[in-house]
Amino acid sequence: MTDPVLILDAVDKSFGEARIIRSVSLEVERGEKHAVIGPNGAGKSTLFHLCSGQLTPTKGRILLDGASIGGLPPHEVNHRGLARSFQITNIFPGLSVFENLRLSVLRRRRRNWVFWRGIAGLKETNRRTEEILAQVRLTARAHDLASALSYSEQRALEIGMTVASDPQVILLDEPMAGMSHEETAYAISLIREIAEGRTLMIVEHDMDVVFSLADRISVLVYGEIVATGTPERIRADARVREAYLGEEAA
Amino acid sequence: MILRIVLSVAIVAALACVPLLLPDAYVNAAIQMLIAALFATAFGYLCGQGGMLSFGHSAYFGLGAFAAIHAMNAVGGEGLLPTPLIPVFGAAAGLAFGLLAGWFATKRSGVYFSMITLAIAELVHALAPHLKETFGGEGGVSTFRMPAWGISFGASGDVYWLALAWTVLCVGLLYLLTRTPFGRMTVGLRENTHRMKFIGYEVHRPSAMVFAISGMVAGVAGALQSINIEAANYVVFETSVSSAVVLNSFIGGVRVFFGPAIGGALMSFFGYVTADMTRSWLLYQGLIFVLVMMFLPRGVVGEIVFRLQGGEEERRALRPGTLAVSAVGVLCGAAGVVLLVEIAQRLFAEAYPGAAGGWPPVTVGGVDWSPLSPVTWLLPALLIAVSVAIFLRGRWRDRAAGAAARSEEATR
Repeated sequence: MTDPVLILDAVDKSFGEARIIRSVSLEVERGEKHAVIGPNGAGKSTLFHLCSGQLTPTKGRILLDGASIGGLPPHEVNHRGLARSFQITNIFPGLSVFENLRLSVLRRRRRNWVFWRGIAGLKETNRRTEEILAQVRLTARAHDLASALSYSEQRALEIGMTVASDPQVILLDEPMAGMSHEETAYAISLIREIAEGRTLMIVEHDMDVVFSLADRISVLVYGEIVATGTPERIRADARVREAYLGEEAA
Repeated sequence: MILRIVLSVAIVAALACVPLLLPDAYVNAAIQMLIAALFATAFGYLCGQGGMLSFGHSAYFGLGAFAAIHAMNAVGGEGLLPTPLIPVFGAAAGLAFGLLAGWFATKRSGVYFSMITLAIAELVHALAPHLKETFGGEGGVSTFRMPAWGISFGASGDVYWLALAWTVLCVGLLYLLTRTPFGRMTVGLRENTHRMKFIGYEVHRPSAMVFAISGMVAGVAGALQSINIEAANYVVFETSVSSAVVLNSFIGGVRVFFGPAIGGALMSFFGYVTADMTRSWLLYQGLIFVLVMMFLPRGVVGEIVFRLQGGEEERRALRPGTLAVSAVGVLCGAAGVVLLVEIAQRLFAEAYPGAAGGWPPVTVGGVDWSPLSPVTWLLPALLIAVSVAIFLRGRWRDRAAGAAARSEEATR
């Protein structure tokens, strides 16, 4: 029995003449870890932009838990339970690490318009922030500026901010990009942990990561999904080998 | 925390003593300083907390001023709205127009936002002279402060305390606001609006709200000015009013909460002192701004706070010895530049005979300076050279210390 939480139904996205996403249909099962792979320029990030409200689909429907989210503004998409991270680190550089995460928690708990109480008095918000801080192993750096973090720490913060929205679906756009081997290994365990009880959709170039993390993989080539399946089946798929994996081997 | 409260109370108490200690002329200057400080705080809240650089804050200041004038004429400072509560009208006008203008301006960000604020202020500026009923035409609108609550409001001391009470109230409340969830949302907007959307924030409404609050406080400052000078004229809508608050706030340091207030007060005092002494005071004001932006881009207060919070290397500049040397450098440079500007100004004056009259000496600071004597030019040149030398020495030492710290770290 399938229980898809995120459904893309014949989604198209064109920029002028250029058709970047071509009739993509995809069902992401509740609780699965779904990776999207494909060569550069295949439209992976565009796909995430469409799901997260950054871009509006030209055609087709995007459903989250049965309700259409295609074309909703990003904050509405977030309120409905889908949060994302960015390929290029996107944080609040001039604020402390703690505050970066707290802003996310604050909105989730709908305390952001409170102007009659000090922020220090919001015990539950601060407690939850501490929790996420510990989860992404940044407790020691809580009071440092986010801009002072190392690259991989910023990537962890980015993931933390995404999780702090407490979404049911998380989209991670190349979370390992630019990480060393050790950092990647650690990031995989972090992502496994935060994806617990949620649905994860991830774009990643590192094939080791993709094949060790994902339950299912979709391959996007020139805006079209050429295959979707378990890692074993994707590895065996002739079209995929030709279009994508072959390229890597060459 | 307790230290902060004690310090705040002490500062307010000291400010409250001003009319008891200083002659009337200085009390009048102090009122202007309070108004400039409050206006700059309103601007600084928008710019430093919300990250929105408004080039048109004269509109909210001016509308507050006129709202207060008309309120004073209408209610005569009686009934439920006696003179001390008149700034409420300024606040209402600033808030209402701030909400309207802010709604449109905050639809865009960055340069586009700034341009919209400028355009809205210019619109008001262009419109005001034509609405004679409301803005009084060339002559402006005048009024009288009425006694209330057993206070005559005749003496400048009374006006000072009124201005102080409103300034402390508004600055205090704004400061507390920065420590609330709403205040933290505001700095989030400043840091990264794009990311805010993706963690679930609708960003337009809070931005417009921050704008409106800033307009409201600017309106209070405008109202205090009306109460102080018992008149308002459409010149309050001039672009120079908008630009002055930008310059003052940045000189103080827009990213630290009290920076703009201190910048506004200092520059207002500077204007008060120098405007009577020299015609070049605007030039000096401009020079101060350029130099502060070049060498202390955090602003004066911002730099002090940064160094106090920093490590050993940052704190070095705050040692008494280093500070004294810096002060000598600043004073030498200032003296040299002022001397040069003042002599040149007199030489280029129309009344000066020049070549035909045989280059008679000019008087600056009670001393006669002959344009033909080398001392006239060498002295300011020497002063400026000393200043530059001190500056370069400081910079060289900073670099050496920085390099030493780095190599020490590397060997560790």
